[in-house]
Amino acid sequence: MASDQELIIQFQESINREANFTALLKKHQQKVYYQIKRMVTDHADADDIAQLVWIKIWDKLDGFKMESEFSTWLFRIAYNETLNYLQKQKKQRTIPSNSDLLDYENTTAGSDSPKSTEIQIGLERAISQLPEKQKVVFMLRYYDGFDYEKIASIVGTTIGGAKANYHQAVKKVESFIKQL
Amino acid sequence: MDMEKDMKLNELDNIGNSLEQDRAWAESLLNKQNLSQFNLSKTDAPFNYFESFPDQLMKRIESEKKQKINKKSPKIFFLPSFMQPLNRVAIAAAFIIVVGGSFIFLNNSVWKKTHAPIVAKYISLEELSSEEIESYVDANEWIAEIDVHTQMKKENSRLSSLDEKQIEEIEKTINK
Repeated sequence: MASDQELIIQFQESINREANFTALLKKHQQKVYYQIKRMVTDHADADDIAQLVWIKIWDKLDGFKMESEFSTWLFRIAYNETLNYLQKQKKQRTIPSNSDLLDYENTTAGSDSPKSTEIQIGLERAISQLPEKQKVVFMLRYYDGFDYEKIASIVGTTIGGAKANYHQAVKKVESFIKQL
Repeated sequence: MDMEKDMKLNELDNIGNSLEQDRAWAESLLNKQNLSQFNLSKTDAPFNYFESFPDQLMKRIESEKKQKINKKSPKIFFLPSFMQPLNRVAIAAAFIIVVGGSFIFLNNSVWKKTHAPIVAKYISLEELSSEEIESYVDANEWIAEIDVHTQMKKENSRLSSLDEKQIEEIEKTINK
């Protein structure tokens, strides 16, 4: 399979643009989708945002200079688009929705023990209440295994800032669960 | 205070060394199983979603491309800065030309409508048949008679005012 760089160069040289773009898309679409979905929960919203992200990539790929990794650039766009979306949602919403929690409860129904479910719900709630940057940093580090340099570039902070965000996220979630 | 600061710094030291260490630290506080369960709940997608996503996306890109081509934004023309004070004068002049031109044009077309029959009459006279001309003369004969009588009266009055010498001269010219 061709590398990201090879696909991008061919795209920029107008060689089978659609095929090369689709190859890039297939390589990264799942991770992008999961990153977005962890933030917005609802599939329809995640799908909308994912499409916007890839449309932006299509429009700007000709100008991508490969000074950073393609995936870093891609996830940075995904992060910004998701933030924009969440900000719009906050302006429109007057009462916080509990649908996310209900969805989680439905998916975890019948699992282990009542106490376990309660802790899982608590974890869900705690993570959902984190500031967006801390939430993203935690997920990119813990679930996606990105290094701090990449995370810092995606969310627009320093490496030290990314480490601090990860630390604070874990501590806040722990503190919230302990209160249950 | 310093103790708390040191403790915080120590905790920070626990993170950022390696991915495995960071994960281990989080799992020690938040429970590995719960973290795993949380991830599962957040990363499910509808059946066949990723297989169909590329095609859907490319169709959307194509459609938006066509929309962009159709929507060509009008170009805005800005006058150079040295001409900008004349903007209002130019607009006023253009307005006057348009209004005045329309007025002249409309008046011309009205004039043509009212005078066209007269012109048409002059033009179509040649095309009139002899019957039409005769009927016109018959209808207007009385006018012609009046004209003749008027002329005759004029001539008679002239003749009656002539003396014998003038009459002789006229007879001479007629006989020549």
